[in-house]
Amino acid sequence: MSNSNDMIEPFGGFGLGLRRTHYEDFLEGDVPVDFVEVISENYMIEGGRQLRILEEIREKHPVIIHGVSMSIGSAGGLDSDYLDKLKQLERRIDPLWVSDHLCWTRTSAHNSHDLLPLPLTGEALDVVCANIDRARDHLGRPMLFENPSSYLTFPEDELTEWEFLCEMARRTGCYLLLDVNNIYVSSRNHGFSVDEYLSGLPLERVRQIHLAGHTPGEIIIDTHDREVCDDVWALYAKAMKALPQPVATMIERDDKIPPLPELLSELDRARGIASEACEAVLA
Amino acid sequence: MSSTDLAERQAVFMQQILDENAPLPQGWGNSQAAGMQVYRGNYRSALMDALGETFERTARYVGEGPFQQVAAHHAITHPPASWTIDDAGAGFDESCAQLFGNNPEVAELAWLEWSMLGLATARDAVPLDGEAFAEETARFGDTDWAAMKLVLAPRAVSKQVAHDLTAMWSALGDEPFEMGDIACDRPRGCLVWREGERPTFTMVDAEEAQAFGAIQSGATYGEVCMLLAGDNASEQAIGDAAMRAGAMLGRWLNEGMIVELA
Repeated sequence: MSNSNDMIEPFGGFGLGLRRTHYEDFLEGDVPVDFVEVISENYMIEGGRQLRILEEIREKHPVIIHGVSMSIGSAGGLDSDYLDKLKQLERRIDPLWVSDHLCWTRTSAHNSHDLLPLPLTGEALDVVCANIDRARDHLGRPMLFENPSSYLTFPEDELTEWEFLCEMARRTGCYLLLDVNNIYVSSRNHGFSVDEYLSGLPLERVRQIHLAGHTPGEIIIDTHDREVCDDVWALYAKAMKALPQPVATMIERDDKIPPLPELLSELDRARGIASEACEAVLA
Repeated sequence: MSSTDLAERQAVFMQQILDENAPLPQGWGNSQAAGMQVYRGNYRSALMDALGETFERTARYVGEGPFQQVAAHHAITHPPASWTIDDAGAGFDESCAQLFGNNPEVAELAWLEWSMLGLATARDAVPLDGEAFAEETARFGDTDWAAMKLVLAPRAVSKQVAHDLTAMWSALGDEPFEMGDIACDRPRGCLVWREGERPTFTMVDAEEAQAFGAIQSGATYGEVCMLLAGDNASEQAIGDAAMRAGAMLGRWLNEGMIVELA
């Protein structure tokens, strides 16, 4: 696979989020994954064991670096120190690609350490696009941005989320990380159609899919603490049939992390669904 | 809509997260209020989890209820500003000092845990071994020794303490734990550094922690000797101080706390 400064070539592998609990599995064994994804901020550090382990695992598997703190939607712009440290990590690891979320996390005074929702307005779109351009210029490569799960919408919204993502990708040339569970969570919380969402996206810009579990309730919460539910698997199958190019699929688990074989079994289910989707399209 | 609208909206949203008594923004209804509860809960649990993971032994020592209390107090008085949640524990030892004023050992333990966390991700550096040090100083005269500056291992720290942190650390490795008498009979010091990839610490005399701190602040070896000798010191006292400084230097070299001569 080759990625020029402006392009990210499709990559159709299956991978897992690398978590500390599984370090030894990855260091000592031959884990059947095509890539691992790490949370960027955990490795934007100066040295020590964690960074050394990531470098060792990088020798065995391609790595994707996925951030939670770029705050691409911050009206105050991006944090230069953050960008510098992300670039250092990017140079050190040479990842398949770098991704973050369509959200904001901080103001100039405080950081929420949570993925906060943006009002879907023309002004927010301008801010996001300007920040994406700056991030791309700083890193020297385009990024992927993930559709968030959200728990409220704003009275001032002017666009749907898929319209916002579509315009964002068109104006900046960025790519999309499609979190299928997030589509499901937000659709249930806000009452939109998942089919309308999927068909409204520029699917040719999608390079990766996230699959995760959520906590049901009056408001569904994206907790990443359990297995992917059947409805999300069904939506994944639908997305895989609709996507015009191969994409990387990943299982995300951040809490109540089970032994590795359980996650690999979920990944096998994703492989099966992707394979069926591919056969259905070819037929 | 003006160009500052988004900034204002984000400031108001953040205020909603930080202060549950803040009035709802104009135009918000029940659905936004319910959604905000989720974001507020996420914010608090992320901070509490981060503090709980960083200060595991402190939490075990004070118990769950008191730890939740000090963690909540810290989250309110030190809302995070850094992009990394790892920084959420900065100043937690001071929060412990405020809330556990009658138990100063709590703040000392929190300081130690915070220092250990920082060392885990410090820049990798190769320590200067005794042989290399001997080579570098082989031709030193008295003035060279006096002017010598040492570069300590990245993020190595020292502190004067009044409690036996080794005993506390060891006892709190078990759950349930048994804590004996931990008060020191005289002021002591604690040095924290990294051995290879492993953060570690040792208890030392208070003056050694003071000397370590002075080196870290840029003092020369000669200035450290004078610091140890005290004001208006006699020649004998200066000579004794130089001997003690030499012994400290030897220990620091043996433990890998020095990475180069400046």
